[in-house]
Amino acid sequence: MGTQVKDVIIKPDSPNTLLLDKHADYIAAYGSKKDDYEYTLSEYLRMSGIYWGLTVMDLMGQLSRMNREEIIDFIKSCQHDCGGISASIGHDPHLLYTLSAVQILSLYDCINVIDVDKVVDYVRGLQQEDGSFAGDKWGEIDTRFSFCAVATLALLGKMDAIKMDKAVEFVLSCMNFDGGFGCRPGSESHAGQIYCCTGFLSVTGQLHQVNADLLGWWLCERQLPSGGLNGRPEKLPDVCYSWWVLASLKIIGRIHWIDKAKLRNFILACQDEETGGFADRPGDMVDPFHTLFGVAGLSLLGDEQIKPVNPVFCMPEDVLQRIGLQPDLLS
Amino acid sequence: MHGRVKLKSTAQQEEEKRKEREKKLKAFVSTRDAVLKKRSAGEQDEEALHLTQLLLSSNPDIATLWNYRREVLLHLETLREKDEVQKLYECELHFIEVCLKVNPKSYGCWHHRTWVNTRLPRPDWTRELGLCDRCLGLDERNFHCWDYRRTVVKESGVSVEQDLEFTERLIGSNFSNYSSWHYRSTLLPRLRPPPPPDSAPDTSPAPSASPQVHSHRVCEEQLLKEYELAHNAFFTDPNDQSAWFYYRWLLGRAEREEMISCVYISREGERVSVAFSKPVHALAVGLMLVLDGQPQRVEWRCAHPRFRHSPVWLCDLPPGSISDMSNEHNLTVHWTEKHTHRDCALYTGCAESWCRDSATDQELFRSELSVEKSSVLQAELESCNQLLELEPQNKWCLLTIILLMRALDPLGHEKETLAHFQSLKEVDPMRSSYYSDLCSKFLIENTILKMEYAEVRVFSLSNKNLTTLCHLDQLLLVTHINLSSNQLVRLPPQFAMLQCLEVLEADDNAIESLEGLYHLPKLEEVSLKNNHICKLSDLESLASCIKLARLDLRGNPVHKTANIESEISQLLPLVTALSL
Ligand SMILES: [Zn+2]
Repeated sequence: MGTQVKDVIIKPDSPNTLLLDKHADYIAAYGSKKDDYEYTLSEYLRMSGIYWGLTVMDLMGQLSRMNREEIIDFIKSCQHDCGGISASIGHDPHLLYTLSAVQILSLYDCINVIDVDKVVDYVRGLQQEDGSFAGDKWGEIDTRFSFCAVATLALLGKMDAIKMDKAVEFVLSCMNFDGGFGCRPGSESHAGQIYCCTGFLSVTGQLHQVNADLLGWWLCERQLPSGGLNGRPEKLPDVCYSWWVLASLKIIGRIHWIDKAKLRNFILACQDEETGGFADRPGDMVDPFHTLFGVAGLSLLGDEQIKPVNPVFCMPEDVLQRIGLQPDLLS
Repeated sequence: MHGRVKLKSTAQQEEEKRKEREKKLKAFVSTRDAVLKKRSAGEQDEEALHLTQLLLSSNPDIATLWNYRREVLLHLETLREKDEVQKLYECELHFIEVCLKVNPKSYGCWHHRTWVNTRLPRPDWTRELGLCDRCLGLDERNFHCWDYRRTVVKESGVSVEQDLEFTERLIGSNFSNYSSWHYRSTLLPRLRPPPPPDSAPDTSPAPSASPQVHSHRVCEEQLLKEYELAHNAFFTDPNDQSAWFYYRWLLGRAEREEMISCVYISREGERVSVAFSKPVHALAVGLMLVLDGQPQRVEWRCAHPRFRHSPVWLCDLPPGSISDMSNEHNLTVHWTEKHTHRDCALYTGCAESWCRDSATDQELFRSELSVEKSSVLQAELESCNQLLELEPQNKWCLLTIILLMRALDPLGHEKETLAHFQSLKEVDPMRSSYYSDLCSKFLIENTILKMEYAEVRVFSLSNKNLTTLCHLDQLLLVTHINLSSNQLVRLPPQFAMLQCLEVLEADDNAIESLEGLYHLPKLEEVSLKNNHICKLSDLESLASCIKLARLDLRGNPVHKTANIESEISQLLPLVTALSL
């Protein structure tokens, strides 16, 4: 009798110190082999890939190692007539990559290299009658896209471009019995989705609508004996879910409800000592996505070797200060 | 990017792998380039379907390729007869199924399937329901499939009752199926809902009809069944969290009425404070103040500028309007958005007045506690106690017992509650901060209840291991507060809601921040001995409390600051009795 807890075991010889230099080298080298198999196959999410790489480099104080001019030219070439931005050349525009592009240009403080008014038009055009957002013209609806929309507009200082009351109403209609949020009304709660929805409510100044005690309980129950966090009950721990849960807890003012030392231990164990970078779990293959969320998680846990990260935008706090953005957090 | 184990391999294996990848890469790139070329040439034909199929069957996440397919399909639709269109889209459904076998969690696949169904001349919902069943049979937690299934259910007319049976079957075969429990929580409120209060026939449910908002609508008879289902689950496997989460929702399903909970008026300063049952934005909800029959133009402000939404709002009346002690006044505050209001009379010779409901336990904290019949709750408590005897270390059971005891008799069970919290922290140390905060919340609720019964304005909660402060909006009328010998680290911005506070004692805590001691118009005396106040700037907010005369800061690191005494007297010139 009794369920086996799904978890991993952290080996005693796992890394337990932060290997910042290795991670910076790993990200700097990633993409230098542009004809690499992995690299080519991930073309469909290139814009987000660049955002992950640049953000983690900035958090580590190594942004200058990246090729600024090349990246800016690339982004310019990915903006379409409709105003939306695609993951790469030859791909279609989408809110996911529009946000990534705007985040990158905010890091580089050069948002005006693209047509900002057209981006705003694109975002506005994707809002539906019920307040939700489609990811692109093909109409997939998801609270992730609600977050992408308001985060993009907030970074551009154009929050008044959409019907805000309706947008908020839709996100709140996705709130569940456990205080969490899913993709659409009725969808099960999921840490990634909770991050998007609490982030959305933070940017729109509506966090008082969250049942923070109930949601905080569900979120802190994501921590497993290994110290890592999962994204839903009975799932394995993962560095990226650790970020989404941790950032959500930070947004709703309950980050102290998890065991920070144990989580730090888990994240450090997901480093690859040979290649640099972080994997989803100890012993797996590393990638830039988990490398960003590993480093950002350690920043939220208070590691002083890393710049402070903003839990809502997953960008360095100093960048948001420069823009003058200070999204709400519950206390 | 997930779950790819890093394998050690020999140089030879590496070389073989590299060669194989190179081959795969070459094939991928040439097909991709061919597709891009065709698309930019505006070609929308069978070959386009074939080429994208080659790529998507192993990489279903490339959204642009699905987009191209949709463009091609829409074009082919215009060229073909209805039966051929049906065939075209059935082929597409078949192809998607192949892709879903490769990656059952691809957003692109599931969205495309939804789209194809909107184009099919004769969609077959029964077949789609079968697909969902098979898919959930392989992975009962696949939320993409659950989401798709909800669309199918809506189209195919599966009733709520049938759907409840479906989840019961899944739960029966595996209790540890959080997705099914979740789904039940969305179904229950839709099961024979009682007619809405103002039975207008066209009150279609707004999108906000989520289980969070409308959870109270579950009918009693069904609730008893749900309790039983949850029992079966946690008696079978007491460590499975799914049923416990569900059970806590069932217990705490009541909702607090939206109202103005208190109006307070003071001749001194000619000030009005209004407390609401939930945080509001005074300007947005249509708040109107009427004094002696005359609507007043007043400026509403939050107790602390940190908040846009707050349960407490303040305003100043026009100068001279209530300052004369010999006049009687009648005040009404209207919450126009909710069609509710509260009156408050200020009699001759009185310096202040207030109006509120005398709060009982059930009303006060009803948002957290159930209003279930106590006999039912008593029975629930007994069965949980039985389980605890078998499983004395079970944290879920301990926490649930605490919640049940609170629903039944919070004050009567206080001692046992504290003991259970202690056990919880021992069996689940990772979450001890959560338990400490929850315990603090319950103790504050109990102290508020005791204060209510005693009809006093003194709130005393010292030496109770408090780690956090909450429900501060309920303390609007409190004049004396004692929080000494706890583990508080801050007086949060919400503390500024204690508009009547005169004396604060908070010795022997770990307080570093005094943000909440902000514009408290009656605060005269503050004692903060033995805390962690470090910098002069930590005291800045105190300057806004214009009546503060006595301040005790003995035993704080701030005393090490150079010229501290003269610095403080500059910052707080009105403080006459300062202890450092
Ligand atoms: Zn991950």
